[in-house]
Amino acid sequence: MGEALLSWPDGNDRVPYWIYTDQGNYERELEKIFYGPVWNYVGLECEIPNSGDFKRTQIGDQSIIVVRDAEGGVNALVNRCAHRGVKLCEQDKGSFSEIMCPYHQWTYDLKGNLQGVPFHRGVKGNGGMPADFSMADNGLDVLKVHVRNGGIFATMSDETPSFESCMGERILGYYDRELDGRTLSLLGHSRQRIGANWKLMLENIKDTHHASLLHVFFVTFGLFRVDNDSRVEMDDTGLHTALSSIRGKQELNDGTAQMRSFDSDLALNDPNLLDVVREFPGDETVVMQTLWPNVILQQQSNTLATRQIVPKGPNAFELHWTFFGYEDDDEEMTARRLRQANLMGPAGLVSMDDGQILERTQEGILAHPDEQGVVELGGRDTDDADHMVTEVALRAFYKGYRKVMGL
Amino acid sequence: MTISPELRSEIEYLVNCYALAIDDGELERWPEFFASDCLYKIIAKENFDSGLPLGLLLCDSQGMLQDRMEAFSKLNVFGPRSWRHMLGAVHATGSEAEIVARTSFVIFETLAGKDTHILCAGEYRDIIIREDGMLKFRERLCVYDTTMIPNSIVRPI
Ligand code: FES
Ligand SMILES: [Fe+2]
Repeated sequence: MGEALLSWPDGNDRVPYWIYTDQGNYERELEKIFYGPVWNYVGLECEIPNSGDFKRTQIGDQSIIVVRDAEGGVNALVNRCAHRGVKLCEQDKGSFSEIMCPYHQWTYDLKGNLQGVPFHRGVKGNGGMPADFSMADNGLDVLKVHVRNGGIFATMSDETPSFESCMGERILGYYDRELDGRTLSLLGHSRQRIGANWKLMLENIKDTHHASLLHVFFVTFGLFRVDNDSRVEMDDTGLHTALSSIRGKQELNDGTAQMRSFDSDLALNDPNLLDVVREFPGDETVVMQTLWPNVILQQQSNTLATRQIVPKGPNAFELHWTFFGYEDDDEEMTARRLRQANLMGPAGLVSMDDGQILERTQEGILAHPDEQGVVELGGRDTDDADHMVTEVALRAFYKGYRKVMGL
Repeated sequence: MTISPELRSEIEYLVNCYALAIDDGELERWPEFFASDCLYKIIAKENFDSGLPLGLLLCDSQGMLQDRMEAFSKLNVFGPRSWRHMLGAVHATGSEAEIVARTSFVIFETLAGKDTHILCAGEYRDIIIREDGMLKFRERLCVYDTTMIPNSIVRPI
């Protein structure tokens, strides 16, 4: 479609559909967002506890190696040989003491420095690299890394402000509530590919009221519902959001009466699934954070996870879930977290619905780039709310997005 | 310890009936295939191989199987589709008291109006016992190789 059509309607209460489908816009997003001045989530320290441990991940379209070096530091390296561009690492995770390219055996240390080039000085006086070839200038591309309480973030831009100033104080408060400095213990991964634009995943978490309508499971057991005491809070940019809520009762009231999916008689045969214990200060039973640009940090009851969003062109994204607990969890707590993990992931009692509905959203809008969505619930403003009958987090998000994208 | 030909065909019958019940959409029969004390877990090979406990789906009691079955049948929201389990030959060892079986599977999924795709490929790792005269799964681990699940798994596998 023509550039002229790629404009934004007036106000924050409409979202044009071309931002979810346009290839050119996707490419600009890679440059301005993922490769720009942001902190991309790339993993948890508990995934790479020992020197030499690495994991492979992705920022935008680029493959990235996250590795712990001999001194215990965490490095993020572009997964591309400096010689002729071979993808260095194919495994998802593992351990190595150096990185060697199989093609011509250039070797790198775990900080990305070029350590060895075969036939550097030639063979029997023939060939070799020129005398002025610089090992120092031909290492791997290295990203700037920031680690906070076990979470690892990386940036490709030299202009990125500090992690703390990018997040803002109140979001950091929620971040530190879950990642509170205790050593994390890794429970495992789930991965799914969803045929929808990556922003729809962030929206899905920022869209508080859908949970009361789409998710029968949530609704019935009061885990996340419009009649619960809740708050929607944004940072100054509007791009990060923290939603917090207190679990409600399975009762018929003004809110539940309007939800066609509410069933006051539904009971679990095995109530162990919802054997929730309070483990954080405050009364909140759920805090969902969307951290710009690519991660959801989740606490729903006792299930803790990050969901990394990896865009795959305008019409698909991958969701990489990492479930975790704390090193000081006892066996009972670990069992509880693993049971409650049933709520989430590609077969989640709740999140299964989201995967399905996001794909249907993409299918619905695909042929209608000129149309627009309505986000007027709770008004047209972008201020924090002390309830969840609102789409304010979406309005705030797109206000921030327009600024980043120059739209 | 050997598995007699009669027992072998009984095991194969169990493994087959299980897959057919799911493909036929008779989810209410799903819990019946399990022993009263049971474990059902769908787990990614990457977790299984690294000793990480997280399941994509975990039921450690008959009650949880029932709850899952009801959620799949009534609570969750997803479009119409067909499933087709393709099973490899059952490899069974152990004894009549506790049979250990491994069976490869591929599940083809066809969504209304779309191409058939592979939902996942993997292996059942079963422990089978006899309860009330019938063979039942005491443990059924579905270890899947598939790195990226296409959207969601909306039934038991
Ligand atoms: S491409 Fe890597 S060493 Fe040549
Ligand atoms: Fe949802």
